Amino acid sequence: MTTVMVGAAEDRRLELLRSAPSDSWIALSEDETRIVASGATYEEVVKNSERAGVSDPLIIKTPKVWMPISV
Amino acid sequence: MSLKLPYLKYPDARTGGFFYAAVIPVHIALPAQNAPRSKRFEANIDSGASFCHFHSQIGRAIGLEIEKGVETETQGISGPTKIFLHDISLYLPGGIVTTCAGFSDRLPVSGLLGMTGFFEHFKVIFDPTALRCELERIFRA
Repeated sequence: MTTVMVGAAEDRRLELLRSAPSDSWIALSEDETRIVASGATYEEVVKNSERAGVSDPLIIKTPKVWMPISV
Repeated sequence: MSLKLPYLKYPDARTGGFFYAAVIPVHIALPAQNAPRSKRFEANIDSGASFCHFHSQIGRAIGLEIEKGVETETQGISGPTKIFLHDISLYLPGGIVTTCAGFSDRLPVSGLLGMTGFFEHFKVIFDPTALRCELERIFRA
């Protein structure tokens, strides 16, 4: 599933990311409007999102500091 | 099949503003039939990557023994990085592909979709006027 977001929804998602714990993994709800779980590792966030009852979360790795990416 | 993906905003702590990235949710799995998939995770569309890269933690979760893969190095902007190569199934729009992908614990994002494994399967337009990426899957005989 790919959620298409425009305008306010996109900005809400941006604010969610700003509020997310850094250097960790987060799980967003299916519609990407809520952080339903977080964890220090991928396995931990998957477990925590299952505990939260979200079967199809979107997992994102958060950086130590948000900044443009060049790998 | 084609897909229009709006660029998504990510916080920029240096300015308090944001930057855009072209990302797509994907799953990965071992290449065996009916192997369990990872959860859906966000991967950056990155034509600068020669092949696809994923965080090692996702690889371990699907059953890879990361350090038993083929050890190699890639050249990044900050120098060479050690990675381990593994064959995986990559779940993309239009269907699954099998590719040899790099895994690293040092990857700062969940995944990077590169030339081999991703761009070889799509015509890609980065549209700065519409702030979106358009993907058209290529199916070869």
